[in-house]
Amino acid sequence: MVRMMLRFDNEKVHEPVTSQVILEEKIPLNIMSAYVNQQGGEILIDVDSEHAERLAKAFRKRGVTVDVPKLIEKDEVKCTSCGACVSLCPMNALKYDPSNKVELNEAVCNGITCGLCVDACPVRAIRLLG
Amino acid sequence: MPASILEGKNLKSNNQPSKKRTIEEINTKIRKGDIQVLPVSEFKKLVDSKGIQVAFNEIDVVTTGTFGAMCSSGALINVGHSDPPIKIQHAWINDVPITHPGAAVDLFIGATIGSETKGFEYGGGYVIEDLVKGDEVELRATAYGTDCYPRTEVETTITKDDLNQFILLNFRNGYQRYSCAVNGRDEIIYTYMGKLLPKYRNATYSGAGEIAPLSNDPNYETIGLGTKIFLGGGQGYVIGEGTQHSPSTGYGTLMVKGNAKQMNSNYLRGATFTGYGSSIYIGLGIPIPLLNIELAEKAAIRDEDILTDVIDYGVPRRGRPTLRKVSYKELKSGKLNLNNKEIKVSSISSLEKAESICRELASWIQQGNFTLTLPVERLSQEGQAKPMRQTKGGAAFVDSILQKAVTCEETEAIETVAKRLITKNVNHIVVVDTNYKLTGIVTSWDITKAIANGVKTLKEIIVTRVYTASSNEPLEVVAKRLTQHNISALPVIDGTQKVLGIITSEDIAKLVGGNING
Repeated sequence: MVRMMLRFDNEKVHEPVTSQVILEEKIPLNIMSAYVNQQGGEILIDVDSEHAERLAKAFRKRGVTVDVPKLIEKDEVKCTSCGACVSLCPMNALKYDPSNKVELNEAVCNGITCGLCVDACPVRAIRLLG
Repeated sequence: MPASILEGKNLKSNNQPSKKRTIEEINTKIRKGDIQVLPVSEFKKLVDSKGIQVAFNEIDVVTTGTFGAMCSSGALINVGHSDPPIKIQHAWINDVPITHPGAAVDLFIGATIGSETKGFEYGGGYVIEDLVKGDEVELRATAYGTDCYPRTEVETTITKDDLNQFILLNFRNGYQRYSCAVNGRDEIIYTYMGKLLPKYRNATYSGAGEIAPLSNDPNYETIGLGTKIFLGGGQGYVIGEGTQHSPSTGYGTLMVKGNAKQMNSNYLRGATFTGYGSSIYIGLGIPIPLLNIELAEKAAIRDEDILTDVIDYGVPRRGRPTLRKVSYKELKSGKLNLNNKEIKVSSISSLEKAESICRELASWIQQGNFTLTLPVERLSQEGQAKPMRQTKGGAAFVDSILQKAVTCEETEAIETVAKRLITKNVNHIVVVDTNYKLTGIVTSWDITKAIANGVKTLKEIIVTRVYTASSNEPLEVVAKRLTQHNISALPVIDGTQKVLGIITSEDIAKLVGGNING
């Protein structure tokens, strides 16, 4: 799953953009949280990773701002690439690159619903965001 | 001359019978700037592509490295004399208690000592890192005062420039290999090998395998007392075998020291292992002079030939069970096969940093800034570390106070079970199947509630999610489990769930009380 933040401005918020996208693209999405009023709105959604790119394009085409929010932050200066987090990550979001540097793939991270890696980091380089 | 003869000649010159090099020849080449040095991982590739003889003829020196948590470390500092002078009795730096090992103002910063105000999140390892970075730290000290050292208190801020000596000292470093850790318990455990998920769901290991120093000189021919090394980004020396040096079992260790004023935080970092404490990561790099082809052959060792043990850290005993042997090749693959299941395995020491230490040391040698030394004394090649001699009141384990469990089967009537509680004078009845395997537990409180609420069958009140103990666990661990889950008894089972007995908080209390009175 990929988590996306959809931002609607004060014009777009008056159009049924989300329903249109779902109907036209036939992509199921799950709304995690939403805050909408006359001035605009923000909707946090979960969508299957294989549809994520197509969905983001469809929203952007209709003038909606699409962000992939950061769920976890790894301080690259602090990180020593020891790997203590790698075997814990159920999503393979923390992996070694070919030169054995530990890399975080934010797109597949489960963030606050998991957090297994955070207290395992010996140099406290990993932080949960919101 | 036909091309084939030319090639033959080239081949001959590269394949000429083993020559030997002396350390003097190597150092002359380093000073002249024409030394042939390679990080050991690249040397192994060269051996793969051109063969050992050619690789040996072409390369004079290989560099090895590792970057891991080195808990048995610290720093010796001399803070200079105050006026009036003080003979320090107790000292703290940034609220971390500092040991006072010598005369008046020599102090030892132990890497694993925790801060008195920040707990595990700051400790000796961080103090050393802060000093290395050039940060100011707060020194506080007290003393009883003497005629020659009248001062009883001092408080000041210092940096590494104010110290007379700042010596990093690792009394156990550079393990030849280290075990791979897993956890068979049904709860997460936090260890010095990192966070281990329940029921063998992940594994961690330490050590750089084929690029680690002692893997490439397993008989300690070039690495010994007096070998000049890379330490924490500066220069240091091997000063002997490390504590717990166990060459007979393949777990050799080194004791090293270096001038910490030259070090940098790229290769020296304070660290915290949750639930364990503070520690320090240190980078160690050792050059190996390829004096003869036998040494070159040893430096060609690959990860598949370096084996270590997979150990169940869920068993809180000195003799933790070994589940299987594993090679560093399998460990570095990221996947470990355990009990016919594939689990994720990752290191807790940085392979990326280990490689970068090999490269940095190679470049020092290449640029003529680092010459090599031979050991003035070799490390012992036999022997292994002894366990502690325990002469007084050895630790107590579950089996020492194991009681026979009063049991029932889930088909029995509530009244029958209630009567059994009274006649046997117990509060817990362990529910078993026909093979005496654990299926649940019932307490006298459950029975009382059932009768008050008119519950008819035993099955409805059996607690099936049961916390258990095994017979070889220390009582401290079991007592902690009872408190953690707010329960008063644990059925004791074997590996097949068969009930061996029961242990209650009353029995533990009696034992502790007995010890106090006795």
